[in-house]
Amino acid sequence: MLAELGFIATFLAFLAALYAAGMAFYSVRVRDDRLLLSARNAALATFPLLTISLGALLVALLSEQYQIAYVWNVTDPNTPTFFRLTALWGAQAGSLLFWSGIMSAFAFGALLLNWQGQRRLMPYVILYTMLTLAFFLSLSLFFENPFERYWIMPDNSVVKSVFALGGAVPPASVRLAETANGLNPLLRHFGMIVHPPLLYMGFVGFIIPFAFAMAALASGDLSTNWLKATRRWTLLAWVSLSLGLVLGGRWAYDVLGWGGWWGWDPVENAAFLPWLLGTAFLHSVIIQEKRGMFKVWNMFLMLGTFSAVIFGTFATRSGLVDSVHSFARSQIGFPLFFFWFGMTSVSVGLLLWRWRRGELRDERRLNGWLSRESLFVLNNIVFVMLFIAIFWGSFGAPIFSELVMGTTITLGKDYFLQVTPPLFLALFVLMGVAPLSAWGVTSLRRLGKALIVPTVLAALIVGLLALTQPAEPLALLIYGVIALSGTVALWETVRGAAARHRSLGEGWYTAFTALVARNRRRYGGYLIHLSIAILGIGALGSELYQQETQRTLAVGQSLELGGYVMRYDGFLGGQVAEDGRIMDIAQVTVLRDGREIAQLRPRRDFYPNAQGMNTMTIPSAHSTLENDFYVLLVDWETISARSATFKVFINPLINLIWWGALLLVIGTIIGMYPEDRPALATAKAAQPSQLAGAKA
Amino acid sequence: MKNLLRIALSLLVIGVALSAVTLSAYAQDDPRRPVTDDEVNAVSKKLYCPVCENITLDTCGTLACAQWREEVRLLLSEGNTPEQVIENFVARFGDRVVGTPVDPTLRALSLVTPWLLSGLVLLGTAIIFLRWRKEGGAPTPKASAAQPSASASVRSLETYRARIEADLAARR
Repeated sequence: MLAELGFIATFLAFLAALYAAGMAFYSVRVRDDRLLLSARNAALATFPLLTISLGALLVALLSEQYQIAYVWNVTDPNTPTFFRLTALWGAQAGSLLFWSGIMSAFAFGALLLNWQGQRRLMPYVILYTMLTLAFFLSLSLFFENPFERYWIMPDNSVVKSVFALGGAVPPASVRLAETANGLNPLLRHFGMIVHPPLLYMGFVGFIIPFAFAMAALASGDLSTNWLKATRRWTLLAWVSLSLGLVLGGRWAYDVLGWGGWWGWDPVENAAFLPWLLGTAFLHSVIIQEKRGMFKVWNMFLMLGTFSAVIFGTFATRSGLVDSVHSFARSQIGFPLFFFWFGMTSVSVGLLLWRWRRGELRDERRLNGWLSRESLFVLNNIVFVMLFIAIFWGSFGAPIFSELVMGTTITLGKDYFLQVTPPLFLALFVLMGVAPLSAWGVTSLRRLGKALIVPTVLAALIVGLLALTQPAEPLALLIYGVIALSGTVALWETVRGAAARHRSLGEGWYTAFTALVARNRRRYGGYLIHLSIAILGIGALGSELYQQETQRTLAVGQSLELGGYVMRYDGFLGGQVAEDGRIMDIAQVTVLRDGREIAQLRPRRDFYPNAQGMNTMTIPSAHSTLENDFYVLLVDWETISARSATFKVFINPLINLIWWGALLLVIGTIIGMYPEDRPALATAKAAQPSQLAGAKA
Repeated sequence: MKNLLRIALSLLVIGVALSAVTLSAYAQDDPRRPVTDDEVNAVSKKLYCPVCENITLDTCGTLACAQWREEVRLLLSEGNTPEQVIENFVARFGDRVVGTPVDPTLRALSLVTPWLLSGLVLLGTAIIFLRWRKEGGAPTPKASAAQPSASASVRSLETYRARIEADLAARR
């Protein structure tokens, strides 16, 4: 029943998406508003339909319907309820349906919220979003169907099909439950409830600004309407992707057991690539709004961002480049590749067509190389250079060398740490300088003067780091550059509040809140800059000054690392958890200056029923703002457990990464928060008329 | 009996002396030395698992990788430098086991290409902007930070409206 319900709802959503796309296109051809309304309603219907499909799959997971192949594959009777929920996106078929569900939710929201203001763009927005949705639903229906069930045929062969085939009988429930796979051990982590949904929201969310950009190109409304309509959608997608990336790092830190949070794995990079172009877009778009410049460039960036999303999806899900994430190889590689190629080609063609017609001419030109717009251009170029370097390392070089030279190569951390640091440093320099420059023309003298206080503040931070952290002069200089990007944001905010405090006599708190409320976008942006600076300091410290050692200790013996002492106290072997995994746990005590500061329990989990990777090394850490003392249980004497081998890391400043991410969310919420109502009313009044030329 | 005992003791002393000399000579010839886990990990960190791609040897949990780590330990204990151990692995498994290829052509291709491509982007951007400046948009009035131009979007909206009117007029 659940399988039929889910499948039918998915199929209806697929038909609705196709109908909406076709009808939206036709409504423009015949200029009939009623047809457009019909297209809109069909597009809106995809969301409730896919909610039903996802609901059906979720109920099947929770109620242990093992006849459904997907349920059998990702859960077993020992799976806790929490992981039954996360199993919804725990493998290819479920995650694809979930992806489509999120896409339909974004389309639903955009159609409802932007319908009145952007009616001329809407037919094309429907066309692009629904064609993309229909494509992904076709993958769910024809290649990776999560509702297929197991059937035993009269000749005793087992087949998968949604509906019962002639003479087929379902396998015995008990037998199915006994043999069920269970969730991939890698995915049994609390972060799995938020990491994949946020990453998908980040990926899928860019469909809205992309569809609006293409709608602007298709309709000829090349004003800033599409930018205004999509600013918050872009920010929502961007912050989701940012958080998805950071939480992915946290998951790797907690689960993969290698002491780090970013491994330059191709799939991590595949998610980072659209983030780079999306971030460039968020900056560049300000120039078009303020100065009427970079129209083609903004279109190109948005097109590139969504193209990178689809390419990343293709690379991840097709197994194009192997990695720990490529758990979901299947037959969808070719369809995804053709979709990516077709979508990118059509979009580039449309952009070039408008460009050649001269409809995307900029209204101003760059005057001074130190003006804010010039620095934004530099910022964009650095983002694109980073994109190229990371794309080349992750996909370009391995594919090129294999196809052209017949040699398989891996470009790993070595490559990325040689190529990207100068570019990241350049970005932090620009982050520090650009907010202080003025639109139009800025003099070096004026810029230098504005940098004095932030530089002093940055120097204080560097001094603090030099006192508390191991650091060499070059590292301190880099810390300083990163800190400057944050202190500029901080100082600009303080300066604004101080001006209100002085001129209006407001209290400091009122002055600060009023300042932020008057220009949420700017001060939300500053908070984001501050958060990126904090995150950058954490990333640099944990990367440059990580210490590690591996020792075998007998019970009662200790090791020393970075001022800490770790004593091996004992071993608890063969502990069985509620979900059936067997845990071997070491007990250690961490001391500093002769004082006990923490009891840690690093462990090894064994999943008896899991296929493939069935052992997980789970670290245990003592965290402070200064550093993490992070312990892994590597091995132990199997019979007596009198000795065990530990790998111990000290990760300086790593917790700044997580705190930085939290600030980033707050900054984005401030930036996204709607302006005061009068301003909205004015903006609405300035919108163009409804569907041009439509029959009433 | 006494003589027999003396002979036996002499033989024992000679035997012990000979074995000590032999053991000492063997010990001098044996280049193996104890290698710490940290030394093994330092080399393994630079090697990628030849089976599970994109996972470094020091973190890979498979049995094969555990054996390869022991091989690293053996090679180091035999007096090989970390570079020689890496070369040994590259010779057997190819450039895929290192984070940046050792082969000069592949290494150059890997490291230079992103900068070449970035250079092309910079060049392209410079050409576009130089051409763009030469052809010119509307000249820019001087603006200060306090007064960012708000007229750009209004102007583009006017242009857009004018085009809609023209489109409509053409269809009437």
